[in-house]
Amino acid sequence: MSHLLDRLNFFKSSRIDTFAGGHGQTTIESREWEETYRNRWRHDKIVRSTHGVNCTGSCSWKIYVKSGIVTWESQQTDYPRTRPDMPNHEPRGCARGASYSWYLYSANRVKTPLIRGRLMKLWREARKTMSPVAAWASIQADPVKRASYTKTRGKGGFVRASWDEVTEMVAAANAYTAKNYGPDRVFGFSPIPAMSMVSYAAGSRYLSLLGGTCMSFYDWYCDLPPASPQTWGEQTDVPESADWYNSGYMILWGSNVPQTRTPDAHFYTEARYRGAKSAVVSPDYSEAAKFGDIWLNPQAGTDAALAMAFGHVILREYHLDRQVPYFEDYTRQYSDFPMLVKLEEKDGKYVAGRMLRAADFSDDLGQDNNPDWKTVGIDGKSGKVVVPNGSIGFRWGQEGTWNLEEKAAGAETQLMTTLILEQDRDDVVGVDFPYFGGEANEHFVNDERGDVLTRAVPVKRLVLKDGETLVATVFDLFCANYGLDRGLGGDNVAVSYDADVPFTPAWAEKITGVGRDRIIAVAREFATNAEKTNGKSMVILGAGLNHWYHMDMAYRGIINMLVMCGCVGQSGGGWSHYVGQEKLRPQTGWTALAFALDWSRPPRQVNSTSVWYAHTDQWRYETVSAGEIVSPTAPAGNWADRSLIDYNIQAERMGWLPSAPQLKTNPLEVGFAAKAAGIPAADYVAQGLKSGRLEMSCEDPDAPENWPRNLFVWRSNLLGSSGKGHEYFLRHLLGTDHGVLGKDLGEEGRQKPLEAKWHDEAPEGKLDLLVTLDFRMSTTCVYSDIVLPTASWYEKDDLNTSDMHPFIHPLQAAVDPAYESKTDWEIFKLIAKRFSDIAPEVLGVESDVVALPLQHDSPGELAQSVVADWKAGECELIPGKTAPNYIAVERDYPNLGRKFASVGPLMEKIGNGGKGIAWETKEEVHHLQELNGRVADEGVTQGLARLDTAIDAAEMILMLAPETNGEVAVKAWEALEKMTGREHKHLAAAKQDEKIRFRDIAAQPRKIISSPTWSGIESEEVSYNAGYTNVHELIPWRTLSGRQQLYQDHEWMRAFGESFVSWRPPVDLKTIAPAAGKAGSSKTVVLNFITPHQKWGIHSTYSDNLLMLTLNRGGPVVWISETDAKKAGLVDNDWVEVFNANGVLTARAVVSQRIREGTIFMYHAQEKIVNTPGSQITGKRGGIHNSVTRTVLKPTHMIGGYAQLSYGFNYYGTVGSNRDEFVIVRKMDKVDWLDTPAKVEAAE
Amino acid sequence: MIQTFKALSALLSYPSAELQQAIPEIREILAHEAVLKPAGIKAMQPLLDGLSTGDLFDLQEAYVLLFDRSRTLSLNLFEHIHGESRDRGGAMLDLLETYRAGGFDLVGPELPDHLPVLLEYLATQPMEAAREILTDAGPIVAALAERLARRETPYAAALAAIAGLGAGADTSGVAASLLAQPDDNPEDLAALDAVWEEAQVTFTPDPNAGCPISRDILSKMDVPLSPARAGTPQ
Repeated sequence: MSHLLDRLNFFKSSRIDTFAGGHGQTTIESREWEETYRNRWRHDKIVRSTHGVNCTGSCSWKIYVKSGIVTWESQQTDYPRTRPDMPNHEPRGCARGASYSWYLYSANRVKTPLIRGRLMKLWREARKTMSPVAAWASIQADPVKRASYTKTRGKGGFVRASWDEVTEMVAAANAYTAKNYGPDRVFGFSPIPAMSMVSYAAGSRYLSLLGGTCMSFYDWYCDLPPASPQTWGEQTDVPESADWYNSGYMILWGSNVPQTRTPDAHFYTEARYRGAKSAVVSPDYSEAAKFGDIWLNPQAGTDAALAMAFGHVILREYHLDRQVPYFEDYTRQYSDFPMLVKLEEKDGKYVAGRMLRAADFSDDLGQDNNPDWKTVGIDGKSGKVVVPNGSIGFRWGQEGTWNLEEKAAGAETQLMTTLILEQDRDDVVGVDFPYFGGEANEHFVNDERGDVLTRAVPVKRLVLKDGETLVATVFDLFCANYGLDRGLGGDNVAVSYDADVPFTPAWAEKITGVGRDRIIAVAREFATNAEKTNGKSMVILGAGLNHWYHMDMAYRGIINMLVMCGCVGQSGGGWSHYVGQEKLRPQTGWTALAFALDWSRPPRQVNSTSVWYAHTDQWRYETVSAGEIVSPTAPAGNWADRSLIDYNIQAERMGWLPSAPQLKTNPLEVGFAAKAAGIPAADYVAQGLKSGRLEMSCEDPDAPENWPRNLFVWRSNLLGSSGKGHEYFLRHLLGTDHGVLGKDLGEEGRQKPLEAKWHDEAPEGKLDLLVTLDFRMSTTCVYSDIVLPTASWYEKDDLNTSDMHPFIHPLQAAVDPAYESKTDWEIFKLIAKRFSDIAPEVLGVESDVVALPLQHDSPGELAQSVVADWKAGECELIPGKTAPNYIAVERDYPNLGRKFASVGPLMEKIGNGGKGIAWETKEEVHHLQELNGRVADEGVTQGLARLDTAIDAAEMILMLAPETNGEVAVKAWEALEKMTGREHKHLAAAKQDEKIRFRDIAAQPRKIISSPTWSGIESEEVSYNAGYTNVHELIPWRTLSGRQQLYQDHEWMRAFGESFVSWRPPVDLKTIAPAAGKAGSSKTVVLNFITPHQKWGIHSTYSDNLLMLTLNRGGPVVWISETDAKKAGLVDNDWVEVFNANGVLTARAVVSQRIREGTIFMYHAQEKIVNTPGSQITGKRGGIHNSVTRTVLKPTHMIGGYAQLSYGFNYYGTVGSNRDEFVIVRKMDKVDWLDTPAKVEAAE
Repeated sequence: MIQTFKALSALLSYPSAELQQAIPEIREILAHEAVLKPAGIKAMQPLLDGLSTGDLFDLQEAYVLLFDRSRTLSLNLFEHIHGESRDRGGAMLDLLETYRAGGFDLVGPELPDHLPVLLEYLATQPMEAAREILTDAGPIVAALAERLARRETPYAAALAAIAGLGAGADTSGVAASLLAQPDDNPEDLAALDAVWEEAQVTFTPDPNAGCPISRDILSKMDVPLSPARAGTPQ
């Protein structure tokens, strides 16, 4: 027989007994037992989703589903690859996200709509005989009935309700409020739209169609760094985390990357492997500290002093004693260093005043368009004063010269940054600079040396319209401000780093506690690296700095370092502020959906900080007077006597800040009256305000006509997490039990505001109705009247982007919403429909008069080159110029539901745009009609594109946004080209045909397309970095000078001493003395209260998840140092009470060497609903971290109508700082869990 | 159909006007079917009385407070054994499969481990099968009954009655350990501390001595090789 037939050709016997030389053995016994393991990990499908609102990590995850039940999740690892020599983005994710699927079925889930039982009883009773709006009106009209449910807020008593009944009540309340008080009394609060854009848009679209007020979050969270709009005219734009890898030197400052930016931290590690050096600045030995080659631990709150000293060294060694050519060229072209500033004489002394403008010269220097808004410099080539391209005056009213080419009037220039040489200057004079170092309270080093420091500055004499004036360059003043002796001598300047003169390293050592040698070393390393790499030095900074009252000083001090070293706009360099990653990449597609710009414009938007300050009556307890923060060099004016709320009122009146509510009179009545009178709404309101017939609501926040009446909270835990002044919320907004320990200005007999009307009796319970949408029973839900169960992050379709990476990816409904929950989109669509059904009882087609403040990125930003108050008779009231504009908007209430669910006609009629650039978008609307289908029902929306599902809504965003539609990107760049006179289209041309759809990102995260909305580019060559197009495409920053604005010349900036950066000690909030008596005989210690982000939760989410609680201590904790623990007689794990005039919280103490003496940490936000015992002081349940805080406004954040200092939603405005707070800590000797059911008395 | 289970399912559902009206019928079923012991039925009188005569809003508020708001009283049984652990999804699946095998698909918003759901399913099963399932669930139900009793709510009696139906019910090891866990409020601080206690780390010249985990691993590796392995050529 042949060998061929003997041999198996196509098989190998599986019955071979042994293999591998007898080491392996094959058996044929049953392997059925393996099925157990296989089944354990078997699933029906894998769906891509992410964790949606308040984590900004934006990590893509795989969700495993079996039989309609989510079984577990794992990290997706399919991000588009980076280029060679760059690490990939994976792994993204952390322990919190990995525990989410188990949250889905938690017993803390809200299962059905819930209503406060007492309210339900009243409602059902009333509804037996009355129509919905009449029924709601009858409850509101009876104070006893109203109080019966408002006073029980937070004390349980919920019953379940059907969707039908609950939405009817909400709609009736909204209709009643719109009819009786005005639609602007319906408020809505939701944060961080980028993380689930459609869910945010659902609520804001409903509110915008109604005329309700959408509240900002970024400023309220104090995540907005006002220094960014001040310097760059940009809300916040930062490098993606991958760009850390390109850096040569990184300072981590007040940011705890491994703990709070977990999915990005690998880039930091990888950069260090690559050879980057890193300094970490953190008062405590944080998780990040161990990554540092050097760790600097300044006293918390003294960061600005440290930054000043860094700047002092950089200026001395890289700009003065030796000039680095790259730094010189960069600052000449990209900063305001060469611009001229007028020196104003006051009592024979000089103070830096306004920036010189073309309009100051007799011939306007040949500028007939906006000469008042064009800054000037001296051309080194011709020696003449010139008007360089790019200042904001070139942005509006003319085309082709708003750019950063080194040109003026078409001619090449080389601007002079300094007049230090004898042949360049006319004189050297002493200029006064304010110094605040002597104002420190007892907890900080007080550097008493007078409040004005005079320093020598080289000047030039110019003849202007109104006579001869001394001028200096920003750079020369800037050097004087940093206390550098430039050979001119005089006082308050130093040659040596060891001199005790602000702002030398020796001086900073005294203030911050960081050794001068370490300061000098870090400054040198930072600048030398930037010199060698053309700007690849980076500062990653965070909430540790930004949450202080004087955050602008720390931030501007750091920004100055970056600008001096040419780091902004360079890959691997720049300003990396990662606080509340707000970046909604397809922004202009989303704004159309979210604010219903397709149906009516403008929407009502407001800065939350001012609203909460006024309406939770925190202003009634104000302890900080303007006199304490005003500059000794302030221009003439009545600065000190006005209280902080008075400043806010003036800002609203002058159109700087928005208002909510807007007018004391119902805006629907105003609209009706204007129509009846036959005059435009703006004229009607202007007449009314002047005659006193109409009043602005801000002047009397406690009058019942001006109360916010209905509040929606969705995607947010306002009362459990972000509500600074928590106890004031409880007392005045909700009207329930509270822990406020201090007394108000009236009770204390202190100076009351001049303008805000004082009521001796403070209102308690301003809200008629609080509606919260959540998937879990959060602290906010517990205080709500109605809780609506919403879909969790694996139960809905939505979009997600972050500034940490350049991809867009989805949330998807892996399973149907559990129990009776619905998605945010479905809930608000339902409410909109119910509203339309009910509204005709009291509302029809109405004319609503909307107040619009002077907007950034619109010609309105050139409204007020000088400050003039119409009410003081300093100018005429001109709506849109010296006051808010008043615009009549049609509200078709019976059709609100239909409008909600279709793309309205204004996108085709007016077009779309953002950040001052506009383009037409007809084509995209037609595509959308074909993609989503057209509305078939007869009526106002017939034939329009449908927005039935959340995916339809997502498609609207993706279709209209340049970032996700290449055709739109090219249009947008073309629109910008007209303004700059330069070619930019190449940035998107290669992607013109690319259209990203929802199903594309479901398949894989997609990198977005470069768009002029952002200052960086998406490219295969460089990582995303902010300011990139300013530097490389010569697009001006959206500031007064068009350059990085390091000098702030607005009158209020000068009045409050912040025209230049300086060291300002934390403010004294005076909350200790009024509460000190409460401690009795206990041993106590007074500490600075710091609330960083935690490791075991994302804000309050996960903080009630057993897995995360298990990794932590399982309830509220505060961290204190061993020394302070000893002072208060504490040991680790003791229960403590932490309190001050604002309120009380209870927690366990973690005593750790990690914490610096003098501070106490409480990670925010630990839920009150988990393991929180009663307070001995109040007898009520202990509060949350915000129980001991109160928000304090800062006048410089109210400025408007002035170039980059103009209002934009979440862009500029008052911010809710909270780090200056001090607290008393004592051990609790009795822990009472208050676990007997609350006895709820009927309201008397 | 074992109507007693159906009745118990209804009693543990969200109180409604319909339930209030059905109380006389429920009384009759309990008495007539006699699945529960007379003492158990007697103990349930306050619950039945309360439900039939109480103000519906008060009943509903109490129900939401007990069963929707308090995690330790959740009627979702797996909350008590699996909590937020990975096993929960799988356990719910198994239960779902059981229902399917019994010929039923779950409709409506509740999860499979919701006690009224389970009871309704048991009502459709032969008594023997029902008892078997209840025997498995018994410890959790017993623990729930005890927790409700501590709250002094009449619902405790219903849970106690159900717990009594499983074979060899009462307090098995699981129930005891469940009960040993504190309610929402860990008053016993010493017990909490005990949970957190870890082996103390000591720093000695021996680098492996410091870490308890590596110490344990090392000590396992220190076991001498078995003679068989020792004889194998290297």
